[in-house]
Amino acid sequence: MSSDCFSNLIRRVCAFIGGHANALCEPAESVAGEAFPALALDLFAAQFAAVTPYREFCEARGATPDRIADWHDIPAVPTTAFKELDFTSLAGAERTAMFHSSGTTRQPPSRHFHNAESLALYEASLLAGFERHLLPDRAHLASGRMRFLVLTPRADAAPHSSLAHMFRCVVAAFGRADSAFAGTVGEDGGWVLDGEAATAALAEAERAGEPLGVLGSAFSFVHLLDHLEAAGRGFVLPAGSRVLETGGYKGRSRTLPKPELHALITRRLGVPAERIVCEYGMSELGSQAYDTVAGVSAPRVFRFPPWARAVVVSPETGREVAGGEAGLLRVFDLANVRSVLAIQTEDLAVRRGDGFELLGRAEQAEPRGCSLMSAPEGVRS
Amino acid sequence: MNLPHYFLADLPDRGALTPAMITDACLAVKSNRRRYLAERTTPDLIEAIAALAEDWLDPANPYRRQALARGPAELGFSSETLAAGLDAFFETLTREQLRALVAQDLGHPQRLDQLAANEDETRADRVSLAHGPELLVHVTAGRLPNPPLMSLILGLLARSAQFMKCASGTSLLPRLFAHSLREIEAKLAACIEIAEWPGGTRALETPLFAQADCVSAMGSDETLARLHEVVPAHVRFLGYGHRLSFGYVAHELLSSHALPKVAAAAARDVAAWNQLGCLSPHAFFVEAGGRNPPERFAEALAEELARCEQAQPRGTLPVAEAAAIAARRAFYEVRAAHSRDTQLWASPGSTAWTVVFENGPRLSASCLNRFVYVKAVAGIDEALAGADEFRGKIATVGLAASGTREQALVLRLSRWGVPRVCPLGRMQQPPPTWRHDGRPALGDLVRWTDWELPPRW
Repeated sequence: MSSDCFSNLIRRVCAFIGGHANALCEPAESVAGEAFPALALDLFAAQFAAVTPYREFCEARGATPDRIADWHDIPAVPTTAFKELDFTSLAGAERTAMFHSSGTTRQPPSRHFHNAESLALYEASLLAGFERHLLPDRAHLASGRMRFLVLTPRADAAPHSSLAHMFRCVVAAFGRADSAFAGTVGEDGGWVLDGEAATAALAEAERAGEPLGVLGSAFSFVHLLDHLEAAGRGFVLPAGSRVLETGGYKGRSRTLPKPELHALITRRLGVPAERIVCEYGMSELGSQAYDTVAGVSAPRVFRFPPWARAVVVSPETGREVAGGEAGLLRVFDLANVRSVLAIQTEDLAVRRGDGFELLGRAEQAEPRGCSLMSAPEGVRS
Repeated sequence: MNLPHYFLADLPDRGALTPAMITDACLAVKSNRRRYLAERTTPDLIEAIAALAEDWLDPANPYRRQALARGPAELGFSSETLAAGLDAFFETLTREQLRALVAQDLGHPQRLDQLAANEDETRADRVSLAHGPELLVHVTAGRLPNPPLMSLILGLLARSAQFMKCASGTSLLPRLFAHSLREIEAKLAACIEIAEWPGGTRALETPLFAQADCVSAMGSDETLARLHEVVPAHVRFLGYGHRLSFGYVAHELLSSHALPKVAAAAARDVAAWNQLGCLSPHAFFVEAGGRNPPERFAEALAEELARCEQAQPRGTLPVAEAAAIAARRAFYEVRAAHSRDTQLWASPGSTAWTVVFENGPRLSASCLNRFVYVKAVAGIDEALAGADEFRGKIATVGLAASGTREQALVLRLSRWGVPRVCPLGRMQQPPPTWRHDGRPALGDLVRWTDWELPPRW
């Protein structure tokens, strides 16, 4: 498979993203009814040819491009497999960037490789998704930019974090020059929040009377809220301020139920619930899902942008569940050109219309018996 | 049949329990113990327990029928799996086995009835009497019914008033068992209380433990550590932590003649209680070098599990548990496509059973519900090195080996720290004399009075 083939595919996906980047959260089917299936099948054929462990996996299943006519049937690679095999069509020397999941000392992380071209596609995808969900009013912002406070470290301090990279791109594309990063990397490699720096940025935004976008992981918000509580501080951020909160806790803070976390954010930062947006992403994906559009009061349902589609499958049969039923989330993401587009997550979700609601991680389910389920530090192959 | 509201766990509104209700219940069972149980004799109690066990083996027994009817929805086992598990349990509760338990743990069949001496003690001029705790409190964990039922039986033998606190949603079998006891021996059942509340409810635990003489608890290390802190220092605390088990198949049993039988026995151990018990195997270590390779054993095990599914279906799983199986299968499917060192057999169109073969010894904890590993090893040393992570946490090893090698293998396992070795196929059927986690289950409940006989003046 020549790299020209992938360059061509990247151009086609870029055109897809560009063509739909402003179609605000409309259901994927109505926006891109024809282009998605054709592009997905073409991508599958190219990835089957060029990604060796993927080809082995598909062949073992008898699911080869000549036998797959429906994109739903494209074999999905479990995220756990990214921990031990390289699912990429990039040769070693071409891999100029790598994102990985936050692994533990016992487990290698998942790896997702990029070259300049695929990285540019990833950035186009994340910016388009971010803009439509966090900045629907961008046309009304002065020079289309907003002041951001990012609670995670700068990308140069966390070079393999796809989240840090995403926030860097967002700030570069949509942020004002006075945007700030308040996260740092601790001695153990974990992320810590500079509570004073964050507090100063919040105070400055409040004083200036200009809206602020606060971006961070769930645990970084817990760190911020704990810091503000200990300091007895609270803010009412100017109208139009908004929050993006993403991802799990990874043992980095106490865990809060989402409504509680959001209520605390509203209480301490003065950002109303409808301006708190949840994002769902992972290092294995090039696109992200969001559960609402900032400022829109609607029931929260995660949706990917039109160039990525989520399917909730029954763990028993592997087939898509009916609406309202729970299963495992599977994502077909056209922005994964040099990796594989079909990703089987370990996240449990309920199908809600054209979107989904997250329930939690499958691996955390513990059957209630009296058997030991894991070694003290959690053994997994 | 609706159970009358006799035990606290029978009440429709279990959330309405108050500390005073717990204290009152403890005082009532203690009072009933003094009146109805303290003076009963061991043979008399053994007779009652064995007769009750025989009743439970009768398919017409209404309590058993209710267990099989309600079990699938309340406990998640198919009625066939539940029936097989209950049969295996109650079949072991014979008069002979119960007498053997008392004699083994207490050194004399009448030890709980009178000052008694066995031959060695007679020679040593000493007689002894053992006493069970006045109030024995059980804290149960999980959905398996046989551990709490055995706990109640041990408490009866020890003449203890008993209060069993069940994990939420798991009291069905203890209640049915206690109701069935009430039908034949109402006074014995009057010495038992059963309640259900979420673990960690301090408002109810504090009055309960304040009345206890001994607390016997099962659960995770975290649960046990928490309980140990709450139980007053003068109350004896017996903690049974979660354990896991594995099987070991010697190469000489991989002949074409023996292999099907060994695989069938292994499948029985996986299917029993859907693999959820601490005596259930997470993996089988299989020696290379036999007439058939370990992969062939894995394949035969998969065939047997498919057969088991017909006769003894696993039943429906909550979506999260099914998802854990699906996620892990997907991982091994990729690995198997990449390398011959991993192979996967899985029930089509369902998560009913899964066998993962790996050409390497490292033991992984299974996600259970009939998901089992087969690990090829060169010999016992490699297997034990692979299981090292779980050393001290193993409950049982199911063994299939030739007579000439068995003893050496058992000695090796014993010195490594395995408390129980049994034939493959019987992992989930320990006899009543089983020393739970290597400790005498009845013996650990009692305290002793030793009388050193005076010289003849």
